[in-house]
Amino acid sequence: MPTEITVLLIIIGAIALLVAFWFIATMNMLRRKEVKVGEAESGIDVALTKRFDTLTKMLDTVKGYTKHEASTFENVVKWRRGMPEDMTLEQKQEFMQKMDQLQADINVVVEQYPELKADKVFTNLQRSIMDVEEHLQAARRMYNANVSRLNGKIVTFPISIVAAKIGMDKKAFFEAEVQKRADVKMEF
Amino acid sequence: MELQLNEYQLRKSKSERLGLMSLPLLVLGAVLAFSGTEGQQIGFYVGLFLLAFGIILMIVSLVRFNTVISDFKKTFLKDYFSKIIKDGDYRPKKGLDPLNVYECGFLKRADRFKSWDYLSGEIDGISFLSSDVHLQKRQVYTDSKGRRQTKYVTFFKGRLFRFDFNKNIDHDVQVLERYSPSDGKRYRKVKLESIDFNKKFKTYSTDTQTAFYVLTPHFMEALMKIENNHPGNLGFSFKGDHMFFAIYNNKSTFPIRPFVKIDEKLIDTFKADVELVYELVDDLKLNKNIFKEDK
Repeated sequence: MPTEITVLLIIIGAIALLVAFWFIATMNMLRRKEVKVGEAESGIDVALTKRFDTLTKMLDTVKGYTKHEASTFENVVKWRRGMPEDMTLEQKQEFMQKMDQLQADINVVVEQYPELKADKVFTNLQRSIMDVEEHLQAARRMYNANVSRLNGKIVTFPISIVAAKIGMDKKAFFEAEVQKRADVKMEF
Repeated sequence: MELQLNEYQLRKSKSERLGLMSLPLLVLGAVLAFSGTEGQQIGFYVGLFLLAFGIILMIVSLVRFNTVISDFKKTFLKDYFSKIIKDGDYRPKKGLDPLNVYECGFLKRADRFKSWDYLSGEIDGISFLSSDVHLQKRQVYTDSKGRRQTKYVTFFKGRLFRFDFNKNIDHDVQVLERYSPSDGKRYRKVKLESIDFNKKFKTYSTDTQTAFYVLTPHFMEALMKIENNHPGNLGFSFKGDHMFFAIYNNKSTFPIRPFVKIDEKLIDTFKADVELVYELVDDLKLNKNIFKEDK
């Protein structure tokens, strides 16, 4: 006949086991969501690289028409080395903003050269860039949707306890527009 | 147009009158033939004669009715659609090929396949084809007396459209109200950022990012609007260069029923059905070819 203490110990052991299982399951769930965020972030990288490549091609075409205005694009020539690797999310946002600026500059120049607008290669590149931007938006939305779900879990009790134990923090969103900060200087 | 419609209406009402005339003959004939007492041979034969005459009239009426409808669809409607739709091709007896139907990826293979009222053309530079489709599955069951019985159960009756799609996609995306993918590919369920959209539709894709690429916030809003405006069970799928749209509403798109006048009002209801195509092209901005390169 088991004594009362034995029964109590079994109950406590069972509860501890349940808690341990729940902890592991929750931890795995959070890790899976974190992996999804990571995958989505790599989607952003792919889209940014694509956009960078297409913009470079556009730049080459524009330069063919506007040799005397080459100085307009001087500051982007250093991007020739390609998209910097191992960028943080914040740096990626800055990089995206710089590409926005480059594109705006190209658009201003294009307005002055009607023959450029009629160039088939250039119009195809314009379409490509729109498509690439759609891909970038999709990657950004997917990333933010995953971050939103992960953050939602992280702040919910009692999952928040597991998240704190394994050192998982809320992830930052990838904003469409980054506020300009004077103290940040990017060199590509 | 009115003159032509009147002509069809006249022929149609003549055939309907013939059908109406046959009814009292059928009733009277049946009464005389089957209710007479023994020895009333004349009543029986007169009844039989009236019944036969009534049946012949009814058959003639039906044949005439079907001929009028067929003529109306083959000539008038065909001509009408070719006028309001660029390269409009309407064929009442033809339907979509089963391969086109199953290509959408969410309509299962049917044991009984029917398709009719084919309409294709181009709207704002977007090619489309469509037809009514009726799909049935065979069900074998055992009745209360232990006998095996077979029946055909409808799992889709409505219209299917196929449009050119303006984005380049390498993966498949399906947005479905009640169906589920049935083409055997490995789909993942995708949760988009719109809670309302996720409540209304289930989204499946072979690649999550492609789902986000196809379903922009504007696109999701447009799909919700289409869903609100069109009762029925909707399904959208995006494959390669095409977008498929299916609406399961248990209806024929261009029906001409007995005792319903062939007039401009009827034509307007058909036109409203065609306007759905315009609505899809406009709302989903399929006509904005800003993504594909010129060939």
